[in-house]
Amino acid sequence: MSTDTAHPPIEIQGLSKTYRLGFWMSRKVQALKSLDLTVNSGEVYGLLGPNGAGKSTTIKVLMNLVRASAGKALLFGMPPHFKEARRHIGFVPENPAPYEYLTGREFLNLAGQLAGLSGHTLDKRVKEVLQLVAMERAAGLQIRRYSKGMIQRIALAQAIIHKPKLLILDEPTSGLDPVGRRQMRDLILAEREQGTTVLFCTHIIPDVETVCDRVAVLVGGNRVREGSVKDLLTSEAPLFETVLEGVALSQIHAWGYQPKYSKEIGERLIVRTSDQEAQSLARKVLGLSGRIIQLQPVRFSLEDLFLQAMTEVKQTVGTEIT
Amino acid sequence: MIQGFGALALNGFREARRNRVTLVVGFFALALLMCTTLVTEVTVHTFNRVLTDVGLGVMSIMLVLLAIFLSSGLLSREIERRTVFLMVSKPVSRSVFLAGRLAGNMLTLTLLLLAMGALFFFEVSAFRNAITSTQFVAIGVLWVELLLLSSFGFVMSSFSSQIVSAVVTTGVYFAGHLVTDIYNISSRSKSELFRLGGKIAYYVLPNLSRLNYRPHASYEVAVTPSEVVSSVAYGIAYSAALVVLAMILFSRRDFK
Repeated sequence: MSTDTAHPPIEIQGLSKTYRLGFWMSRKVQALKSLDLTVNSGEVYGLLGPNGAGKSTTIKVLMNLVRASAGKALLFGMPPHFKEARRHIGFVPENPAPYEYLTGREFLNLAGQLAGLSGHTLDKRVKEVLQLVAMERAAGLQIRRYSKGMIQRIALAQAIIHKPKLLILDEPTSGLDPVGRRQMRDLILAEREQGTTVLFCTHIIPDVETVCDRVAVLVGGNRVREGSVKDLLTSEAPLFETVLEGVALSQIHAWGYQPKYSKEIGERLIVRTSDQEAQSLARKVLGLSGRIIQLQPVRFSLEDLFLQAMTEVKQTVGTEIT
Repeated sequence: MIQGFGALALNGFREARRNRVTLVVGFFALALLMCTTLVTEVTVHTFNRVLTDVGLGVMSIMLVLLAIFLSSGLLSREIERRTVFLMVSKPVSRSVFLAGRLAGNMLTLTLLLLAMGALFFFEVSAFRNAITSTQFVAIGVLWVELLLLSSFGFVMSSFSSQIVSAVVTTGVYFAGHLVTDIYNISSRSKSELFRLGGKIAYYVLPNLSRLNYRPHASYEVAVTPSEVVSSVAYGIAYSAALVVLAMILFSRRDFK
């Protein structure tokens, strides 16, 4: 059996996962609730969400680390427990833990052998990926001597050693310094350039904006937003932020404005309104001898989208159920 | 599949070789084996018997301890340290992963057993004693006992912590050697419940006394090939059943 190009790299339908906890397994925690998701070939897909939103659980189901309670997850049209489904996948888990008694090179050799490489091909690929992740000089050291950044690199190296068609990365930049994060992002972008599909899971929003084509926001095990990064950022009408003095918030409400956001800081008041409202509000404030300190457009970021989604759902993550 | 199995087995051997406990136990066992010659200094008669008795005894104790230590921590440590995430996600089945890890353990124990066996026979011949076929049988069947204990430790470590696995496997080792006595004592009891308990223990626990040919080697008691084949078959069949159980438990397990 081989990967079928007719099937998307990842297809998830109605996926649910309930963990049973405690000595008697009587406590139930629902991590995923009927999740639908499709990742198309060649795209970098970001999974965003707060801690406990179900991102890692989704990835663990895809990697055959946990079994789904309901629904289906398919890799190239095959269920994750088929080892053929995993043959074309590279995986970097959150806080990867390679065998620390091995050297970097030995670990890559092991990973390559498990992926089906051998002989000259394996030797060549080990050299190539060590060069790619800039780890040639540390390749002979035992992994227990590696820094966090070096471990992340060797984990990425083992994931790409067999030239996978799909890369699944769970928080690959977490715990890295800015330089390490930049290098990791560059490596992911280089993989995308080669046509590799990437599922990228993180809660570091700038990383998503930089590398992802499409994103989904998960909250409480549900998908609450999905779309291309561009569409999501332009989906909201642009807002204007007005910083003013000499007018109270109650007065603004009395004029009939309903700001999307407002905050009083000492004498100053910050309000966010639509473009039209901002202009008429400015005129009224000036007419009342108030002062306009600042008036500027507000760029809607993924962070705003993320927080908006969280507020709308009003749901505690990792909800315990009875 | 074979390539993955081989890679995992060799990696398991490399892990054990780089583990300080294995090295310390290995060197200690070899040193202790060398010291058996000292026992001969305080022996007037039955020189051969003491040399064989102490030599095989040291081998058995040290390797059993090592088998329990290695097998009870293998899967639980992988799960606790989350190294299993990177391995189970590779295109190898969980059963092959488990079999490869067990094979790595057995490779370590086999090489140690061979080294200790070679030293033992060197000592026996150095003191101009006869090397007997029963000594070979005792060492060969000890390997089966190590396989059975490793398999039991493996089953335990597929769902419990290293300490629990080690304690239970050690308990099974002692109970396994006493299981015939437990059965005999309980069968004389007036209590139906006690008799039933003894019977269940006898049929469920591995009968490790069937795999103990050390007394035969010490007292130079001849053993028939059919008896040895039957014991080896029993040990391997029991181990196979345990490995299958470990595979079922491990393949159903969630790694949170």
